[in-house]
Amino acid sequence: MRILPDGSRTFFSRCGQWCVWLEELFLCLLLTAMIGLACVQILLRVLYNSGFMWADPLLRHMVLWAGLFGAAAATRHGKHIAIDVASFLLPQKVQPWLRVAINLFAAVVCGFLTHAAILFVSEEAAYGGRALLSIPSWVLNLAFPLAFALICGRFLFRAIAEAVAIATAARPFPPERR
Amino acid sequence: MTLLKFLAILAALLGSPIFVVISGLALLSFHSVEINPSVVIIEMSRLADTPLLLSLPLFIFAGTMLAESNTSKRLLNLTHALLGWMPGGLAVISLMVCAVFTAFTGASGVTIFAVGGLLLPALLQDNYSEKFSLGLLTSSGSLGLLFPPSLPLILYGVVAETRVDQLFLAGILPGLLMLTLLGGYSMVAGRGIKKERPKNSAATIFRAIREAAWELPLPVIVLGGIYGGFFVAGEAAAVTALYVLIVELGIYRDVSLRQLPAIMVKSMVLFGGILVVLAASMATTNFLVDQEVPTRLFELIRQYISSKYTFLLLLNVFLLIVGSMLDIFSALVLVVPLIIPIATAYDVDLIHLGIIFLTNLQIGYCTPPVGLNLFLASYRFEKPVAQLYVATLPFLALLLITLAIITYYPPLSLFLVNAAG
Repeated sequence: MRILPDGSRTFFSRCGQWCVWLEELFLCLLLTAMIGLACVQILLRVLYNSGFMWADPLLRHMVLWAGLFGAAAATRHGKHIAIDVASFLLPQKVQPWLRVAINLFAAVVCGFLTHAAILFVSEEAAYGGRALLSIPSWVLNLAFPLAFALICGRFLFRAIAEAVAIATAARPFPPERR
Repeated sequence: MTLLKFLAILAALLGSPIFVVISGLALLSFHSVEINPSVVIIEMSRLADTPLLLSLPLFIFAGTMLAESNTSKRLLNLTHALLGWMPGGLAVISLMVCAVFTAFTGASGVTIFAVGGLLLPALLQDNYSEKFSLGLLTSSGSLGLLFPPSLPLILYGVVAETRVDQLFLAGILPGLLMLTLLGGYSMVAGRGIKKERPKNSAATIFRAIREAAWELPLPVIVLGGIYGGFFVAGEAAAVTALYVLIVELGIYRDVSLRQLPAIMVKSMVLFGGILVVLAASMATTNFLVDQEVPTRLFELIRQYISSKYTFLLLLNVFLLIVGSMLDIFSALVLVVPLIIPIATAYDVDLIHLGIIFLTNLQIGYCTPPVGLNLFLASYRFEKPVAQLYVATLPFLALLLITLAIITYYPPLSLFLVNAAG
């Protein structure tokens, strides 16, 4: 009869699914827009010898947004580039603990990165100008704090999930330390 | 502080994402000289000034589309119809297919998984020894890195700020040399094999060409577009992506509209993984250049080495080690900015340097003990890694010969560049 916890759990997992769905939709739209805009630029140049002044800088910012949110998705898939020797060399028993430590470490570093990104964006908001299409430059750079915060959260989530997995697996023999 | 940096490097060896380690080091470094941490992000945001960057996600998407569709089968059929009659024919075909496939999909292990899986049974059925077949496929998993529009070539262009159209040209002859040497060896190895080699009729060849007809123009679009002066690399990538999208989705229907979002996300995940490493290294290398680390390195090296050729030899050894430890993308973004000032001081051409870099890193992929291809192949073909160490040795030797020629005979890389002007 655990109505409340179950209810809240489905609520949270549904929120999570929505986030993932939104993120993937965003990535697909960005990619499609990049291909489309770049091709339209070529057409305009070849046919009419003209083009949009804002298209090239906008494309370059779209590349950054796509890359940073792609990296957030990579965190969810566990697809970041890493040296993968330890998983071959270290004994199976140590590996879950290692994963907790690595994800925790990554979460801490990304936390500092998010902090740095927030500093950067607020400085831009105070002193920066308008970059293109009269969009303020700090808005264009919002990708950094948003993506790094998301990445930080995901590493933290992975660390907790791994720790919970260890705890539930090891419950019959609770580790007696300290 | 030193202890923290040491811990960060330990974390990298234990399998932390590379971008986390590099940006962690950057944050620490700037903190240690009391500079606002937002500088790290400012450096990263400078990536938005690089027009060439656009070609990365778009070529990655095109490559992922090709990898998910039946391109590899059609390519294999076509080369088989054209070259099946030669001694060592299938081995030569494998080399060519791997090279073309890697050039378009990047060296992300796709070649071994997609093409290697098709080719291994075929090679064994044609009576090639298991050792030869495994060695061939493992070492060709990264063959073709030197051919346009390979992602590492573009990434080198981004990091070294050299012209990517020149890099594309520079890779062609060294790549062909590599193919020729490996192909020659394969023909010698395949000479003793007794097998009926029926000549393919004109009808078979024609059918194979017609099947692959929509994919054959791809290299022409990329190269013709760029060298015909129609578009720059970023635009060539956009046209390639659009073309591949139309062909695979609309004409061959290998990919359904329902599968498309997953493929798009997959390619953006791949791109994101590369971009954050690149972004993180922007900050770190800027710090190192600021602290005049390359200059000091050069001063140190110059005490012991005066000749350009000894320096290149040392560079080769260093890069082979780096290439067997790090993947090609991290290796490029981390090492290139540090080496470039030194190489310039030794009067090495930056385009030539790029080809040397990529050749080394390609060989590093299949160098024991930890070359990535060896592990990928071990996983894909279900063979122990130690068996692959032995199997790749002859191919490794040939690749090292190519490396020596590429390093000490610069005209091989620069002839086409100079000819194009």
